[in-house]
Amino acid sequence: MRPWVAAILYAVLGAITFVVCFPLLWAISTSLKPKDEIFRWPPTLWPENITFESYHELLFGGSVASAPGAGVPPSAYFLTWFANSIIVSVGSTIISITVATLAAYSLTRFRFWGQRSVPYIAILGYMVPSVIFVFPMFLTMVSLELTDTLFSLILGYVCITLPFCLWLMWAFFRGVPIEIEEAALVDGASRLQVFRQIVLPVALPGIIAASIFSLIVSWNDYLFGRVFMNSMENLPLTVGVMHFFDGTHVDWGLMMASSVLMTLPMAILFGFMQRHLVAGFGAGAVKG
Amino acid sequence: MKFRLSDRQVGVLFMLPLIIAVGVFLVWPIAEAVRLSFVRYNPLRPDDQPFVGLDNYLFVLDDPLFWESFYQALVWTGWSTVLQALIGVGLALLLHQPLKGMNAFRGLLLFPYIVPTVVIALNWRWLFNSEIGIVNHLLMSAGVIDERIAWLSTPSMAMASAILLNVWKYTPFVVIVVLARLQTIPTELYDAAKVDGAGALRRFRDITLPQLAEVLAVVIVFRTIWTFNKFEEIYLLTRGGPGTSTYNLALYAFDQSIANLRMGVGAAAGVIMLLLLLAGSMLYIRVSGFGREDKAA
Repeated sequence: MRPWVAAILYAVLGAITFVVCFPLLWAISTSLKPKDEIFRWPPTLWPENITFESYHELLFGGSVASAPGAGVPPSAYFLTWFANSIIVSVGSTIISITVATLAAYSLTRFRFWGQRSVPYIAILGYMVPSVIFVFPMFLTMVSLELTDTLFSLILGYVCITLPFCLWLMWAFFRGVPIEIEEAALVDGASRLQVFRQIVLPVALPGIIAASIFSLIVSWNDYLFGRVFMNSMENLPLTVGVMHFFDGTHVDWGLMMASSVLMTLPMAILFGFMQRHLVAGFGAGAVKG
Repeated sequence: MKFRLSDRQVGVLFMLPLIIAVGVFLVWPIAEAVRLSFVRYNPLRPDDQPFVGLDNYLFVLDDPLFWESFYQALVWTGWSTVLQALIGVGLALLLHQPLKGMNAFRGLLLFPYIVPTVVIALNWRWLFNSEIGIVNHLLMSAGVIDERIAWLSTPSMAMASAILLNVWKYTPFVVIVVLARLQTIPTELYDAAKVDGAGALRRFRDITLPQLAEVLAVVIVFRTIWTFNKFEEIYLLTRGGPGTSTYNLALYAFDQSIANLRMGVGAAAGVIMLLLLLAGSMLYIRVSGFGREDKAA
């Protein structure tokens, strides 16, 4: 490639990247401004006086336990919501991945009746929008008296994470050669030994990719949390931060600081796992 | 004590959790949604669920808001999908160039896909804030506009902002899929074309595009179905407003179920969405050849 062509390409890429990243850069900039600077017109592109007061309010703004009940600002719940989101994302991911991995292995290594319909079920489940699942699941939770519990949210998220975990693990296991397993079986290893000692280590990249997708989907969900949960202390982060709009005065600094903190765990996962992610996308397993 | 499961038992045992999970998390909610669509259900009076036949469907089909939502869903889906496909292919071609440091660009440009919708909606409301938003400031200081635009409280501008949000978040999806496909096109094809004297444009038209056609068709069907049914992107940005100008079917179903306490009507709207989706999936299966012997094996 000629140098001037490369230079133009870099310039174009740089410009596009800047535009794409701008909303997040602007969120970071706003989150670091003192309150009076946020409302200044014309706005300053980068804070003149950097302050961490918005972050401080979210992270150390007083705990809910010390002063429960009315009068507690929503920001005091931030860490509780954060923990809730971690619990429900990890919980639903563990269920979906375990079920999907076992089934995908079975589907690619054994023959049985109805086997061919499973991928169709997965692709269908993968396309059904959450708004169709959410009310029947909610009414079921009502009759099981599980509403407003983190457990109900974990179960709800299985609806939206299981189909694509199954799809991904199925695609993955189809690509894993069967010969080593057969050799081990001939040598007298049991099927379960083969699964634990040979299959699982080989499947690890697929499991990691599927887990990341599942974590992202459940961490980002809003609808299930909105319908299932009531109490402030049980909300996931996505539903919780929308309560920052409740008052008459919108604190954009607080809002942008929580945006940044909410994106951070996903950004870290994404950074570490980018290679696995692309592998997963390649296998055609994405939800959006 | 040591006992060995037979191969067959292991196979069945491994499938068991999935069979249960599909029953509980897929079949049950959908069946329940279908049942709800035939009863009158007010969540405040859960014990009173009279069967009303097709009344809920007739109500929905007779409701001007349903048709308005349907039309707006088409506008929202059409624009979003076309823009995502065009920008996505362009970006993928750009990111496919053999340049140093390309991985960093790839990472940054794919990033929006994993940002929570709530975060994007919050950022959008702030960027497009009519009083002190940066977008108005930049457009005004560049001389593009003279007065502040009330982005989220003008119907057409609210729809445009929502489409822009959708394009921003989901174009990376197109990029990733197309990029993966680009990397599997044999370079010999290009070498041969070069020897034959084909220019860059010619090579794009005669080699790249035909090779991408299949994967593009699949991506477009997927994006169409998903975009059509999106809820959170619109709800969190505009709540369907101003007025009902950004309602789509998902918002309509949600609103009937939650705000109007007509779960049956909401479910009927959901079932209609499901039927549209089934039609779309048929299209997907045809387009992709998914399930054909050579692909499924």
